[in-house]
Formats: sequence, C-alpha cells, structure tokens
Amino acid sequence: MRRQPLALWVAAGAGYAFLYIPLVIVVAYSFNNSRLNAEWVGFTFDWYTRLFHDQDMLAAAGNSLLIALTASAVSTVLGTMAGVALYRQRSRLLSILVLAPIAIPEILMGVSLLIFFVLLNFTLGLVSVALAHIAFCIGFVAIVVRARLAGMDELLTEAARDCGASPWNAFRYITLPLIMPGVIAGALMAFTLSIDDFVITFFTAGAGTVTLPLQIYSMIKIAVTPEVNAVSSLLMLLTLALIIVASRLSPSLLRSE
Amino acid sequence: MKQFAALCLALALAAVPVAPAQAKDEFHLYNWNNYIAPETIKRFEEFCKCAVVQTYYSDNEELLAKLAAGARGYDLLVPTANAVEALIHGKQLLPLDKSQLPNLKNINPIYMNTSFDPGNKYSVPYAMSTTIIGYNDQKMKELGLPTDTWAVIFDPKYLEKVKGRVTVLDSANELFAAALKYLGYSANDVDEGHWKEAASVIEKAKPYWAAFNASSYIKELTVGNIWLVHGYSNDIFQANLDAQAAKRPFHILQGMPKEGAVLAVDNMVIDKDAPRPDLALKFIDFMLEGKNSAELTNLIGSGNPNLEAVKYIKPEILKNPAIFPDKAVAAKLEQLKDLTVAQRRLRNRMWTDIKAGR
Repeated sequence: MRRQPLALWVAAGAGYAFLYIPLVIVVAYSFNNSRLNAEWVGFTFDWYTRLFHDQDMLAAAGNSLLIALTASAVSTVLGTMAGVALYRQRSRLLSILVLAPIAIPEILMGVSLLIFFVLLNFTLGLVSVALAHIAFCIGFVAIVVRARLAGMDELLTEAARDCGASPWNAFRYITLPLIMPGVIAGALMAFTLSIDDFVITFFTAGAGTVTLPLQIYSMIKIAVTPEVNAVSSLLMLLTLALIIVASRLSPSLLRSE
Repeated sequence: MKQFAALCLALALAAVPVAPAQAKDEFHLYNWNNYIAPETIKRFEEFCKCAVVQTYYSDNEELLAKLAAGARGYDLLVPTANAVEALIHGKQLLPLDKSQLPNLKNINPIYMNTSFDPGNKYSVPYAMSTTIIGYNDQKMKELGLPTDTWAVIFDPKYLEKVKGRVTVLDSANELFAAALKYLGYSANDVDEGHWKEAASVIEKAKPYWAAFNASSYIKELTVGNIWLVHGYSNDIFQANLDAQAAKRPFHILQGMPKEGAVLAVDNMVIDKDAPRPDLALKFIDFMLEGKNSAELTNLIGSGNPNLEAVKYIKPEILKNPAIFPDKAVAAKLEQLKDLTVAQRRLRNRMWTDIKAGR
C-alpha cells in the first residue's frame, strides 16, 4: 500500500473526531451522576435504572422499534422490487414515482399523508405511522438496490436463463444473492430512517401513539435529562449490533470491492 | 411484470391489519410534557375507572397545526389562551356543560371571563406561568443590581456590570412585550411609534446580551455561566431545583418586574370530535379540586388560578411573589393577544432587523 501524506491522515482524523466525539459524549454523560449534561460529577447507573422504570419512555421505545422493524421489512421487499423494476424498465415515469418521496420535503409529505389518512377515515395510530414510514423508505431501498444492479454483470442472469432457469429462479438463485449486500444496506438504511424520523411521524401519529423521537422532543421544554442519553446509548448499541449481524449475513457489505 | 404488481398489491394489503378492539375505557389527554403530576393521574384513573393516555406537544402551534390538518382522537387539550381563541374561531371545541362542573367555583374570578373566551363557554383555566426575570442571587447581590425591574435587562447602566452573562428569550412577541412594559406601555400596545421605541431599547441593550436563548438557559443558569435571564417562571423554578440538587452555592430566584409582565394561562378545552367528552368533563372537574390542582404547582412551580388549591401548596412556593403575585402586581400582568397579519409582518421585519444588527 502506498503511504498517504500526513495531511490526509490529519484531515481524516479530524473528520472522524467530528463525527464520533459527540456520540462518545452522549454515552459518557449517560453514566453521569447529575441531572445536568454540563460537567462530570460521578459514575452512576442511576439513569439506566430510571429508564427501565419509565413506562412512557419504554412504551415509546417499543413503538419505535416495532414501527422501524415493520417499515424496514416491508419497504425492503417493495423497494427491492422497485429497484429491479427501475433497472430493467428504465422508465422515466417509474423513477419519478419511486424516487419522488425522497425529494419531497418531509413536512409536505407529513401533512399530505395526514390529510390522506383523515380523508380515508383511517384511524391514526401505529399502523398509519408504519405505512407512512414504508412510503418514504421504499425510495431509499430502491436507489441502493438499483446501484447494486448497475454494478452487476447482466450476462450472469442471461446465462442462467440459457441453462433453463425460469425468470423467478434466475432472480432467486443468481440475481438476489448478488445484490444481497445492496438489499441489506437498504434494509439498514430504512431501519435507521424510520427509527429517528420526527416530522412525518409527528403528523401521522394519533392520540396516544408516541415514538422515541416524539417523546424526546416533547421533553426538550423542561430540559433533557440524562435518561435521554441512556436511551440513546442503548439505541446506538442496537444499531451497532444490527450492522454486525448484517455484515455476518453478507460479508461484502462492509468491504469495498 | 404482472406477477410483481400482484405481489406488491398483496403485500400492501397484508400490511394493513385491522384496528384492535378497545376493551378498557380510555381517556386521551393531549398535554404539555410534565404538566400533570403522576400521582394525580393515578387517582383520576381510579376515580374514572379508565386508563389515561397522554400525548405531548411542545408548542401551541404544533397542536393547532395537527388539529387543523384533521387529526382526531383527543379528548382534552391544554392550550394557552391565544390558542384557545384560535380553536374557538376554527369551531374546534365543544361547549362545556357547566352543570357537570360543580368545582368551577374554585377558580379565582379574575382569571374567568377573559376576552379570549367570554363567559368561559369553552375553556377553564388549568395553570399559568409568567415571563419574568430569573437571576443568580449570589452574583446579583455582589454586583448590587436590582431584580425587580426590566431596567436590569434593558438599561446599559446596569447591563455593563453583567455584560455577556445575560440571555433573553428568542421570541419577538415576548421580548417586545417586556420592552413595551419597561417603557410603561401595555404589552399588547400596537402603536407603531411605541414599537419603534421598544426596538431601539432592545437594540441598545443587545450588545450586552450573551444570546437570544429559549431552550438551554435553564442549564446555563444552573451551571452558573449565565446570571440573569428574561425567561418563563416555570423554567426558572426548574433551574433552581436543578441548582439545589447539584449542590450549587447559589440560588436561581425569580424576580417579578414592578412594571408588570406577560401572563400565559393554559386552559382545559374539549375537542369537538372527542371520543369521550364525558370523561373529559369528569377530568376537568377533577382537576378543579384544590388538591389535584395543587399537585401540579408543587411539582413544577406553576401559577395556580384555583383558590381552593392554596391550602395544599407548599409554603415556600406560596410565598414566592413571582408565582403568587400580590394584587398590585397581578393587576399589571397581561395575556398576549394575537396580532393581525399586518402587525405580525411589521413585527417580524423589526425583529429580523434587530437580530441581523441593521
């Protein structure tokens, strides 16, 4: 490997420091024995104990996880299909339809989805939030999958067809394994987007439906306590675990090729 | 392609489960966060034999936007007076059946029958806060500064001693109201000349302020970085609780300006499409009981319009003149009225000029 100039290392180090130091601080203060995120007082597990007794916060976290898992599962299936269709059909209209939800400002999407649900007389709740999340996640999954397909050798599928595989079998045994890293990356992206979405969730959530971002935001008025740090740290742990699982499922996900 | 389409459709349909059947009675309260004591909720649940489900908002505009777009399912809302007015105009509220509210007599008459809802057809006062001065008692004493006048926030004569240690709210309406009060006008004064005077007061004081801050000033006060703020009474109360819990050598106290201040009264109202208006009425009457109303004041230091609550409120809160002002000061408190579109535009322009330093 060629030696990189020092300046590049410094710049990279500064970049990563900028990204990760705030996260480290959040985790550190979740163990701080003080209500204020201002100075280090002493080590404690108090905030975690409190978190596990806070029904509101736990219910919100549970809702968020449920919605994120559902939204990422469904939008991965639909998004993969959309990605394949985008790649095969190359229709301008189709790409606009699939990708528009990415470009539309969130607030617009939130309000229009709310009006849409009200129009249908659809009870706002977990289901409406999950549907909304699926709607905006599909586009992201589709983009990733299409990018992966673009890097794939189309001849492989054709060879499978020549050998007598049905279109479904060719997709199932040749295309899908090859684009798997893209599919998994899309699923992870959908999960992350869903779990931290605020604007769209705010509009589509009904009475009594609280997700983690909604809960934390409503607490800002009375000063955020380290309980929020504690729940954020656990979420980070979960995300990290997901990435590890995903990289086990598809080892090429984390490697550049 | 056809198969794909069919599969898509099947999946989309599978993703819509049937709404679960509701077994227990549920009461949906759309409230500010931390704006009701947990023990009060528990007692109400026993009283009404129902489950209280709370959803939170952090801004009146959030509540208005959500209801305007058609969100339903909330029984009781707790908006501030000017938002109540907007909801009444939007025909969003259910008139109250006063025969179900025997405890309504507990409310201090001076908080009833306001211009926002004449005759209290739709709303009943819940709790209130004022926009006042918060200060670090140690520092103010050391510097010999007064804490009972807006002059300490606006007059460079005082400000030069605390330069860079003062924050004011990042809100055009609140700051203009304070400056107008300082000048001896009404907080709801709409005279353009008076507004210009207020703007010039703000501009002269601005170089001495550390920031326009509406969110982190509680923390800054507690830590001791900021010594003097223009802020909400509940926040300043919270800052002192935090400072005491962190064993700081100082207190964060509330100063009620003698010129008067802005008063914000939050009210209980029932959504016109409330699934359970019966439970909402029960809740209103329950909260009008002195003890239940007092629990909130003891928790967050909010002002209390309930005359019966006084017996149950902690003495140290009761003797705080910023939370329970005497008659002379109470008469100088004003609730902010909504501005007309033209007035709002003018104020926004002045505010932008102030913040941009033009």
